Amino acid sequence: MTEGIVRRLRGPGPAISGALACAAGFALLGWPSLFAAALGLELFGAGFWTWARVAEDRREQLPRWAWLRRPALALWLAAGLDAVGGGHGFGGLAPLSTPVGALARVSAIAVLWGALELMASLPLARPAYVRPGPLRAAGPWLPVMLPGAGFILLWRHADHWTRVPEVRTAAIILMLVSAALAAMRAFSRREWTSSLRWLVIVDCGLAGALVALRVVPDDTALLMWMGCCGGHALLLAGELSGAGTRRGEQPRRLWQVAVWISLASISLPIVTTLAVGTAGVASPLFALVAAVAVAFASLVSVRRMVPAPDRRVLLRKESAVPLAQVGALGVLVAGPLALLFAWWGGFDPRAIDALASLIPAAVGGWAAGLVANPLSPRQTAWVTGFGKASRYVALVLFHGLLAFEAALRGLLRRIALAVGAPARDLHTGDAQEYLLFLAGVAVLAVVLPLLR
Amino acid sequence: MGAMIGSTFGTIPFPLPSDLVSPTGGMTPLATSAAGALGLLVTGVVLLRIERRGWLALIPFVVLVSLALAIANAPFAAAGGGPIAAALVAATLARDRRDPLHAECALKLLWVIGPALALSWAGLLLLTLTTGTPVPVEQWAVLALGLDPRFLWITALPLALLAGLVLLGGAPFHFLVADVLQGVRPWLAASAVVALQVSGATWLSQRLEGVIGFPEGRELVRSLLGFGAFAALGTGAVTLLVQRRPERRVGTLASLNGGLVLVVLATGRTPAPVDLAAWGAHLALALAGAATVARFLPTFAGQAPGAPLFRRHPWTGIAGLYALASLAGVPGTPGAMLWLASARSLAAAGRTALLLVLAAAWLATLTAAMRQWRQAFGVSTTATYAGMSGEQAALVAGAQGTARVPVEARLALWISALGLLALGAARLWWR
Repeated sequence: MTEGIVRRLRGPGPAISGALACAAGFALLGWPSLFAAALGLELFGAGFWTWARVAEDRREQLPRWAWLRRPALALWLAAGLDAVGGGHGFGGLAPLSTPVGALARVSAIAVLWGALELMASLPLARPAYVRPGPLRAAGPWLPVMLPGAGFILLWRHADHWTRVPEVRTAAIILMLVSAALAAMRAFSRREWTSSLRWLVIVDCGLAGALVALRVVPDDTALLMWMGCCGGHALLLAGELSGAGTRRGEQPRRLWQVAVWISLASISLPIVTTLAVGTAGVASPLFALVAAVAVAFASLVSVRRMVPAPDRRVLLRKESAVPLAQVGALGVLVAGPLALLFAWWGGFDPRAIDALASLIPAAVGGWAAGLVANPLSPRQTAWVTGFGKASRYVALVLFHGLLAFEAALRGLLRRIALAVGAPARDLHTGDAQEYLLFLAGVAVLAVVLPLLR
Repeated sequence: MGAMIGSTFGTIPFPLPSDLVSPTGGMTPLATSAAGALGLLVTGVVLLRIERRGWLALIPFVVLVSLALAIANAPFAAAGGGPIAAALVAATLARDRRDPLHAECALKLLWVIGPALALSWAGLLLLTLTTGTPVPVEQWAVLALGLDPRFLWITALPLALLAGLVLLGGAPFHFLVADVLQGVRPWLAASAVVALQVSGATWLSQRLEGVIGFPEGRELVRSLLGFGAFAALGTGAVTLLVQRRPERRVGTLASLNGGLVLVVLATGRTPAPVDLAAWGAHLALALAGAATVARFLPTFAGQAPGAPLFRRHPWTGIAGLYALASLAGVPGTPGAMLWLASARSLAAAGRTALLLVLAAAWLATLTAAMRQWRQAFGVSTTATYAGMSGEQAALVAGAQGTARVPVEARLALWISALGLLALGAARLWWR
């Protein structure tokens, strides 16, 4: 009987139910409906909550993941406004002064808000999900899952938010800045796995910016994202299962080339468009930010993949089947294939511009090679010194910005509390107070019409 | 048929208004409001069985039936129902002098609704004096001639609407609804609140009937009730996020539902009988469940294991939370349709700012509903049991789950949830 009680209390496994909720959430994100997306994000939040409430350190985990409801709320808002506005008249954007135009803009902002928050690209609300998650087994995957969900959301509902020019511009700025910040953070971290988590955010930011620029078909942008983000995700998987991707010189080289090519491929349309694109879209400053992000990401991706010593005397039988290398080959072809599709779809820059836009990725790759194989002792000393200093600068920049945002957030919170405090103290719950309210409202009701 | 119905419901005016027997509506308004009132009555009676049985339950039963009739009468916009419902609720609360919470609620109701009704009657008398007729539609026609002093009617009209605003529970009177739900016995609380709110809605609808034909009056109503809706939704949303007691949260949710009627009125038109009936029926069913489940929910005090109801009878708890979710307008519930309909009416009327406030309030209700859901289930006890032997786990489980959940309360939760599901299905069917 007691066993029955215990079994009943335990119920279905929280690990499985949380995983199912997250999987269902992912599936719903791919559905072309804002309500489905909102429900998907809600399921994401529910999955994390299910994991966190049974975690040993639930006191930390529950508040840590509470923010996951915010993107869901943003999507509910977008879905609700979409339902009210009846799709806001697709085909043309109404002026802001009209209700439909205003609703379309708020709805677009809400979609962007939800996606950017998941991609850690929203100022003042950058979630620290590089910290361990509530479920140990899934913890290292969180940095892949959440920004990935954010990108899928952006990509799937691109028509919804990219047609509002102000929102599009804001999205490009925010995603490029966050990609550059994440690349710097990846550069400042020594551990390869930590760097990989930040590189995934870089990939999602760059792919999101590509969607916002609307220079390549959406499906092509998805393929590019799958190439670079999938590459880093597979590398992370490899790291967590015995660093299999780095064992052996050939697989390591293959991965280095594959990840570099995928980054170069995604950077090509972004940098070309921002640097030498049509008027109104081109912005040399944004191009510089994108170039910085791409260069750092290439440097880290290539340089940090150092060979892992193989301590086994005999290779296991399954090691003969290079499953990891199949992934590398997929990553290798995804980028160029996507570029081919993009060209087929109308993206046709001048050859010189295309070559020039590859410079950031090439510089990153070249610097990685230089750092890995210095040619002289003097160069070694210079590389070591410069590397340390630049990592320190990147660290300071990243943490400085985060500290500034935290201070600003604290200030806003204190202002809100100061403004809200009188409202909270206003009500004492006495019966006489209600009468005073009534008298006040009656006077207001009489005076307001006279003042009109 | 008409005679049969007329003999059953003596208070219903016959012949029925044309929009009540229209091909699209038919008897829908009457059936809808009656179904909601019946659901609330049954839950009230079931909950009453926890406290009183036999002859002791007779007077409370009569009170519940009277309040249910007042709710069922919602689509017929009989403004006189407000004072009667308020007096009945106050008298019932004041009857048990040993219950200090009842006495306090009765005092608050009298303290606020009495003066509000007095002020409104003064406004009505002033309007009648100005126009020479007590019938609202005729009053607008007379005022449209422009023969009467303007300041007279623009002073009288807001005063005439005041009682409706108070009864509806919009801010700053939203505390009143929360007080009643927190302080009044479970069998009466929901019925009292719904009866008062429905009376408020009918008061306003009846007073503003036909105002659309008087442009200046319509503009005044639009701006006044728009301001009222703005305050009701904005203040209600902020209040909802800082409240810690579940009963008060449910009260604020009910107040926000009252704000939905203000929203429709702020567009310059009165709600159709079928809309009023749907709103009243939903409020009755949802509040019946939400007010009941709120009694079993923990007051927020950090992370804690789930409430006994949710550990021992999780599906019943979910049924109760469904009612709360519907009150909050969570998508997929009948309440969401009402929120959407209100928002669409604002969009159609071009009131974008008010629409955005409504959207913000909706987000606040969603947040409150999800927060309530998580607090209800609390942190898992599984980890605690994991390291114990079977006997130890059973002992701990027994100690934690001793709080009894009356079968009547569980029955009430299921009635409310099933009623809401039926209401939602019916709304979808008739759409």
